[in-house]
Amino acid sequence: MIKSQKALTEVESKALLRRAGIPVVEAKLARSKKEAVSTSKEMGFPVVLKINSPDVIHKSDAGGVKLGLANGTQVGKAYSDIMSSIKKAYPDARVEGISVQRMAAPGVEVIVGMSKDPQFGPVIMFGLGGILVEVLKDVSFRIVPVSERDAGEMIREIKGYPILEGYRGQKPASIPALEKLIVKVSEFVEKNNQIGELDLNPVFAYPDTAVVVDARIILE
Amino acid sequence: MFEEKLKELEPVFYPGSIAVVGASANSRKAGTAWVWTLMSAGFPGPIYPVGFSGGRIGDLEVYPSLKHVPGDIDYVIVAIPRQSVLEFLDDCVTRQVKAVQFFTAGFSEMDAHRGRDVEEKMVEKARQGNMRIVGPNCIGVYCPERRIPFIMGTLGDSGSVGFVSQSGGIAGKLATVGLARHINFSKGVSFGNGIDLDASDFLQYLAADPKTRVIGAYLEGTRDGARLFRTMKEVARVKPLVVWKGGRTEAGAQAAASHTGSLASSAAIWSAALGQAGAIEVYNLEELADTLLLFQQLGQWQGVRAAIIGGLADGGGGMSVSAGDACMDSGLEVPPLSIDTRKELGALLGEVGSILHNPVDVSQAQFRGLETLFRSIELVANDTAIDVVLIQEDVDIVLPIYSQKGLEDINDFFIGLRNRQSKPIVVVLPPGSAEPERLQAEQRLLKASIPVFCSMDRAARAVSNLNRYSHRQRFT
Repeated sequence: MIKSQKALTEVESKALLRRAGIPVVEAKLARSKKEAVSTSKEMGFPVVLKINSPDVIHKSDAGGVKLGLANGTQVGKAYSDIMSSIKKAYPDARVEGISVQRMAAPGVEVIVGMSKDPQFGPVIMFGLGGILVEVLKDVSFRIVPVSERDAGEMIREIKGYPILEGYRGQKPASIPALEKLIVKVSEFVEKNNQIGELDLNPVFAYPDTAVVVDARIILE
Repeated sequence: MFEEKLKELEPVFYPGSIAVVGASANSRKAGTAWVWTLMSAGFPGPIYPVGFSGGRIGDLEVYPSLKHVPGDIDYVIVAIPRQSVLEFLDDCVTRQVKAVQFFTAGFSEMDAHRGRDVEEKMVEKARQGNMRIVGPNCIGVYCPERRIPFIMGTLGDSGSVGFVSQSGGIAGKLATVGLARHINFSKGVSFGNGIDLDASDFLQYLAADPKTRVIGAYLEGTRDGARLFRTMKEVARVKPLVVWKGGRTEAGAQAAASHTGSLASSAAIWSAALGQAGAIEVYNLEELADTLLLFQQLGQWQGVRAAIIGGLADGGGGMSVSAGDACMDSGLEVPPLSIDTRKELGALLGEVGSILHNPVDVSQAQFRGLETLFRSIELVANDTAIDVVLIQEDVDIVLPIYSQKGLEDINDFFIGLRNRQSKPIVVVLPPGSAEPERLQAEQRLLKASIPVFCSMDRAARAVSNLNRYSHRQRFT
């Protein structure tokens, strides 16, 4: 069975999430180097630049992400570097520009995802970000709709939960903020049946809040 | 909740009359076997065998078609080739049949596209005739109260455990395990491909059924996961729901597809759905039966602090160690007994060769007589730091030390202890070489409502499953 799919860019995805009341690091689209520099100045440094293309999935691997840019000169150079890297890695990609956003303060990295199960429909996934989710498959699932209690249980269910509590002097992650975020994502996908897949990766969790740093939505 | 289901499915579980189609006076067809089964079980309403042969099965006339059946027909059991089912359903509509169960197989489980097509037409016809379908590819209903056994099966006593099973083989096996272990069923049903009535319908019925207090399920897949999930959530809120999901691995899922035409979801998602719905997930037939047995015997009870008693009648050392592991692995606690209990145990049994902490090894009682054994066990049962007492009794060792009479006295003591106080007593009788005596002991204890298991692991897991449900109920 072939379904028509449409991948939204990070800027589009975040705009939808934001309207649904899910906290995101706002990303603005810059269509030129000049625009990237002026948007950076409006937002305040340091900033992050990312390629904004529905065709580039692994942005970092392709040289499509530049972090911690401290001034206009760095932003300008990053813009050119990204464009030439992408041209090499994805010569046929549709490039709409580059997204500019403030560099989020470091927090505990988690991921929240949604995929559709052939029997149960939308299923929410939660896990720690980075290597833990990729190698150890340390994730938990819940069927939509996810209640606050379900969200609490799915957060505590992962083996890496002690990391969220603040391990070895690291700052803890706010469990209530993560619970709220998961419930909001569940409500969001429940209301928007045309969302086939959603990937919030990473979400940064802080002692009092949590925010979506990168997002990707696929419509079906 | 789901009260409307009681009326809707009454013709399925309490039919006034049953026609069996595909029966024959002089063959060993499935239909014929069904007629004999219903007759010998004593189904109280009319049984109408239908088949081309004419003649008689026992003293029942075999009618050539549904048209010729003289009285009203509530329920039809169908064992005819699949090529004729659509035509046959027209006859059922004409006769205003209320529900049809198809033993006949060879639909979507065999050919996903064409089979599904025929199934849709079957459902369409049933809708037109205001009729319900059980199956196809199933052995249908088990209802001791209405004297309906599974094909070639025996009925046990009517009880409080309900079950639904996608598989007929597993439904049949659970029924026989129930016979052996005094798990008494209110109703059971095998629904196969579930093209009309499916797991959700039957779970809703059992949730509403006043005779059913605990529900077991064997599921391979579902055509409407969202409905099943919602249903399980609502059912588990009112009655304990114990679910075994078959087809957790790739090999199992492949088999499920050709068994009941079920789609595969990952095991992780099923586990998540079951847990989120408040059902207790179990992983095999033994654990399903163990957990249902314990719910039947103890009801919704809570307490994770287990006392373990071993050394009946000797060799309690290693057993105490492994029993402690089994309990803690299952999530039970094995707390130290109170100081007073330990002191009194020490005085009774002596310190040498005894383990008095918890687990308790009462081997030393063999040198001091049965009264000492009984006093020791009662002391442990009375300890307020303990919620449940798990006793390992090894018949192979009890017999040479205490003789058959001693074995019976010990079990009488357990029964008396169970009846004069409220703390649950669970007995583990590990199989060995004295099987006849062990089985006899097991039957006596089970009849007296003492749950019996054949290993500490299984006992501990069942106790833990019971607690998981009760715990969730308390915090909902």
